[in-house]
Amino acid sequence: MYHNSSQKKFWTFPREDDLETLRFQANQKFRAKVLGSGKAAVNESLFLEPHEEKVIFKHYEKRLLDFCAIFKPVMPKSVVGTACMYFRRFYLNNSVMEYHPRTIMLTCTFLACKVDEFNVSSTQFVGNLGESPAGQDKALEQILEYELLLVQQLNFHLVIHNPYRPFEGFLIDLKTRYPALENPEVLRKAADEFLNRAAMTDAGLLFPPSQIALTAILNGASRAGLTMESYLTECMGLKDDRETLSKMIDSMRCKYSGVCFYLVCRVLCCGNSTRGL
Amino acid sequence: MDDQGCPRCKTTKYRNPSLKLMVNVCGHTLCESCVEMLFIRGSGNCQECDTPLRKNNFRVQLFKDPTVDKEVEIRKKVLKIYKNDCNFPGLREYNDYLELIEEIVYNLTHNMDLENTKQMMEQYQRENKEIIQKNKIKLTREQEELEELLAMERQEIEQRRLLQIKEEKRQVLAKKKNKQALLDELESSQLPATLLLAQHKDRSAQLEAELEKQRQIVKPTTFSTGIMMSSGSNPSYAAPDRDQALTGRGRGLVGCGVLGSLHTRDPCSWPGACRLACTQFRTAWSSDAGQKISLQPVPKIEEVLYLYKPIHVETYGPPLPDLENLGRFGYLNHVRAASPQDLAGGYTSNLACHRALQDAFSGLFLQSV
Repeated sequence: MYHNSSQKKFWTFPREDDLETLRFQANQKFRAKVLGSGKAAVNESLFLEPHEEKVIFKHYEKRLLDFCAIFKPVMPKSVVGTACMYFRRFYLNNSVMEYHPRTIMLTCTFLACKVDEFNVSSTQFVGNLGESPAGQDKALEQILEYELLLVQQLNFHLVIHNPYRPFEGFLIDLKTRYPALENPEVLRKAADEFLNRAAMTDAGLLFPPSQIALTAILNGASRAGLTMESYLTECMGLKDDRETLSKMIDSMRCKYSGVCFYLVCRVLCCGNSTRGL
Repeated sequence: MDDQGCPRCKTTKYRNPSLKLMVNVCGHTLCESCVEMLFIRGSGNCQECDTPLRKNNFRVQLFKDPTVDKEVEIRKKVLKIYKNDCNFPGLREYNDYLELIEEIVYNLTHNMDLENTKQMMEQYQRENKEIIQKNKIKLTREQEELEELLAMERQEIEQRRLLQIKEEKRQVLAKKKNKQALLDELESSQLPATLLLAQHKDRSAQLEAELEKQRQIVKPTTFSTGIMMSSGSNPSYAAPDRDQALTGRGRGLVGCGVLGSLHTRDPCSWPGACRLACTQFRTAWSSDAGQKISLQPVPKIEEVLYLYKPIHVETYGPPLPDLENLGRFGYLNHVRAASPQDLAGGYTSNLACHRALQDAFSGLFLQSV
């Protein structure tokens, strides 16, 4: 479970700044390594700045998601989530300049299929690449080469807790304990969208998956114009922890610049003031 | 041993529990019934290697591998001839002699170089005729001694058994007398009945105590492995002296069993105690002067009592209903029902439901400070 997982212990960071620091350090480390190895024809200007690295990272992340979308047979969402998380964690401690993101992206997906028990043979896997057979073979070779490195850089922490199952859990709980909300299924679509966008942010490295799922639901509810105040207070007993939730939603808002989140925040803050927190 | 079968009729111990496999000089096995059938005439050829064999050369197989049996037979024959254990000027010559014997046995077992070996053996036989004769006589004498020892042991056991029976009879008699005495007293004496009964009870209790004591004093029987039984209150080994002598020199000895003495090569460098030990029919195998087994109850050890505290796992989230109670709260209405195939495989819908809820509630209250 999440509460005693390696994700909570090692891969959940308290602040976004920590993540930025780590990425910066990875960048610096690579620069030092190249300069230290003393190859003559290295130009300082060839190095990437952290914000440039971020752009490349985002680009390849999008390509990862596209690859998973066209994958045959259909890849379950948890596998996609796991692959994305591996990609993100890898480039937390390594620089984009050192290892090409395309290979790493394929290796992450490959490893995620294995770990999540989505059984695809390697030939089937590279068959989805859409290149010539020779190109596919070469890609497979590269994947196998990088696989061990990837596992190592993940510190052998291979179990990822994605927010999809907590989301299902919340839906079940809503349907059972909160009859005020007539049809929670209407929330599903909006929440799905939210979760997909959350996967493209650092949210997985900062918050527990259950909190992300709950935020997704609240977001969906606010979009539909429903309030879930009473759910939070009565059913969850969340009296003291609204602060956290609002903080979390705040930070998510920064990433998406969605107006809806503002609403959710407001809802919670109202709740806070009425309860005299 | 169980899985071996007769190569001819393929019967095994499973099908015929009293099956006995016999080995001959060529090293191939046959079950008893096959031997009977093939060697009705008294002699014939081995069915696998076609060597001429005699029926009375068949011995019951002792080892799993028939080649081992064959080698044992050959070794016995060779050693009858090569029984020269005393006339060696030094260790090197003795070792060479032993190696020669081993080579001969190996050659004969694996049918290598048969003529040369046989010639060598015959030559040696001729040279050392007298020594071999002497050894033969010694052999028979040793065997006689052993027979005597065995007879003595058997006698001892018989005696002990008779003694025990007598003891038991005596005890039963004593009890009967006691009861009879009570009845007589009740009849004749003037004392009140309760007093008589009390007296009787005392007496029978006394008798019981005596019997118990006698049973406790298990005589320090000395077993042939040197283990001694004691009641714990008797810490010394009140063993007869010969055991003492035995255990004192015990450390140097290695398994001189009864059979071992037949095959033992005892060069003159070994102490005479070895012989002594052998003839006394003991496997002189001792660590520190024998082990002792006590018959008293084990002492009780007082410790702090273990208090069970149920395990508590911190989930950082709201509490979750138990797996069994999910149905009661109505959670299962919103989960996909388990199909008959799922149920057959052991899957129930509350498993998935519980898992989803667990994941939803886990870590919900965690705050990033």
